[in-house]
Amino acid sequence: MIRFRTVSILATAAAVASMGPTAASAQDVLKIGFAGALTGYLAPYDQPTQQGLELAIDEINKAGGIDGKIKIELTTRDVRSETAQSAVVAQELVDMGINVMIAPCDVDPAVAVGQIAQAANIPTIAPCASTPTLPGIAGPFTFANYTADNLQGTVLADFALEQGYKNALILISRDTPYTEKLPLYFKQVFEAKGGQVPATLEFKMGQQDFSAEVTRIKELNPAPDVIMTAAYEPDFPAFIKQLRSSGINTPVLGSDGIDSPTTLALGEIAEGVVFTNAGFPSEGGPLAKFNAAFTAHFGEEPTSVYPATAYDVIKSIEAAVKATGGNLDGQALRDAIDNLENVPVATGTLTYKGRERVPLRVVALNRIVAGEKTHVADVTPKAADVPAP
Amino acid sequence: MDLFLQQVVNALSLGGTYALLALGLAVVFSVLGLINFAHGELMTLTGYAIFFALAAGLPYPVALVLGVLVATASAVVMERVAFRPLRNSNATVMLLSSFAVAAMLHVLFQNLISARPKAIPAPQFLMRNVEVLGLQIGAVQLVSIAVTAISLLGLTLFLRRSTLGIATRAAASDFNITRLMGINANLVISTAFAISGLLAGIAALLWLFQRGSVDPLMGFLPVLKAFIAAVLGGLGSLSGAVVGGLLLGFIEVGLRAYLPDGMQAYREAIGLTIVIAVLFFYPSGLVPRREAVR
Repeated sequence: MIRFRTVSILATAAAVASMGPTAASAQDVLKIGFAGALTGYLAPYDQPTQQGLELAIDEINKAGGIDGKIKIELTTRDVRSETAQSAVVAQELVDMGINVMIAPCDVDPAVAVGQIAQAANIPTIAPCASTPTLPGIAGPFTFANYTADNLQGTVLADFALEQGYKNALILISRDTPYTEKLPLYFKQVFEAKGGQVPATLEFKMGQQDFSAEVTRIKELNPAPDVIMTAAYEPDFPAFIKQLRSSGINTPVLGSDGIDSPTTLALGEIAEGVVFTNAGFPSEGGPLAKFNAAFTAHFGEEPTSVYPATAYDVIKSIEAAVKATGGNLDGQALRDAIDNLENVPVATGTLTYKGRERVPLRVVALNRIVAGEKTHVADVTPKAADVPAP
Repeated sequence: MDLFLQQVVNALSLGGTYALLALGLAVVFSVLGLINFAHGELMTLTGYAIFFALAAGLPYPVALVLGVLVATASAVVMERVAFRPLRNSNATVMLLSSFAVAAMLHVLFQNLISARPKAIPAPQFLMRNVEVLGLQIGAVQLVSIAVTAISLLGLTLFLRRSTLGIATRAAASDFNITRLMGINANLVISTAFAISGLLAGIAALLWLFQRGSVDPLMGFLPVLKAFIAAVLGGLGSLSGAVVGGLLLGFIEVGLRAYLPDGMQAYREAIGLTIVIAVLFFYPSGLVPRREAVR
């Protein structure tokens, strides 16, 4: 059902785009290109992102466009989760005359896309790549959007210290920057504030069996007060199952990757797990409103936060276009995004001003209680505490 | 010593799952000379079957049985659709066909079901641990070891006692002669695929209990491990697949348990180097398939 709608929107977008210069004049249409992974290993992130983009654009266009006059037109092309294909698709989108580029959900293809768009003076926003070094690598036209890894690491370390934990174990995987660096940012902050991280264990993504690691944790003397990891499914469920079933009840801290129905379905073994993510849908809050709008539009509840963070991207672009007074020139838009402050978005507010293109946003702390996600706190870490990327 | 024994149990449990998977590949390879790279997708199908069965309100055990049956039936259908029309062509063509099946199923799962993982809860009793001879063993591990042992025993009985099993073994050793003896080739090949689907379904249950969700790309990694295990044991040799699977489990768990922390990043590379070293001394695998030489 959703798929058909996506296809028809894509078809419409493609048809409109193929009309070329005979379509509406550039001044009253903002063209956005999404080089997204509709297939391959990034599809679990980019397909929900596509839904969030569609919803935001639909809302804005129904209200008459940005400032009541500039309509948004979205063209999505599949990059198949490949970096080389991302570069090809990015060039195609640039050649179509887009004004703003949206990059795939992982840092490597996002860098490829950002660099190509930059050569054409087109600003790029990466909706859910969370590596804080991304904008620095890709260049001055590329912006991050998602809760950066170093923000999450800082919030988790502060939380761990508040709980009185002194001795932490981190479980990392060098397979992705996310699974490796996020726990290392945690370690950096935790140690800087007096905690100790004597043990680091490594896993291979998809390894399924954590029995050897769990047996090693059992051996540790002193036993850790807390275990922190950025593993997500299928690794996180496999790890915590084997950890708990071997009788280790050490508290576990995780990051936004485990914000998924699978974690909630784990039952009593996930009880008490605390994790960070981009926002908690408090009653009456913007995320709850977004989730209701999503459910009304797509006929099912969102199963991840990626539609909401994609919605945020469009809201940032809308705010930037308002700031330029409708000037869609690439340099003007870039500067406008770079100066955005406290833009109201689905997950709270976003500030780019003075942030080197990695936005400051709230980090939510959640705790799993009886198979439900409960809200612990919304935290904005002190800028001085956040480790440099 | 206790920790060592604990790691041995860990290795047996992981190796057992690999053995089931490798055996599934080997059964098909022995009769067709084909490595079915869509074998992992049979596991994914089991996962989705369980997910939809639970969503439809079926009781948990029924959903599990249904999941295994779906994998078995899908394997037979897969042979009929993707491999039978190509049976007389080059083995490479069938290999490519198996990749095509896998790729198409990935895209279908991603676009018709969901690109996001779907949760499959595991029964809570599997989260406990059991004390056996002073060792704390996770229930999932005990179940894996038991299920692997029962499956291997069942398969051995089938292959040695039943006519169809004997025909399958005969076909595995010399397919043409077997056909000359009046054995129906299609029946034997379908049986081989059904066995491989059954094994994939059983392995999928063990895999799903650990990971807690099914996603479109779930089958990719297990089939890779199974392939390594099958080559290690000797391609096409059924007992070889079991030996290869267990050895791979021991290599992986051994490295994860005893490699120093600084070296952990290289363990996959070290593990595969060990596999290559074994193949250097046993080029046709540890328990090579016996072939008559005339």
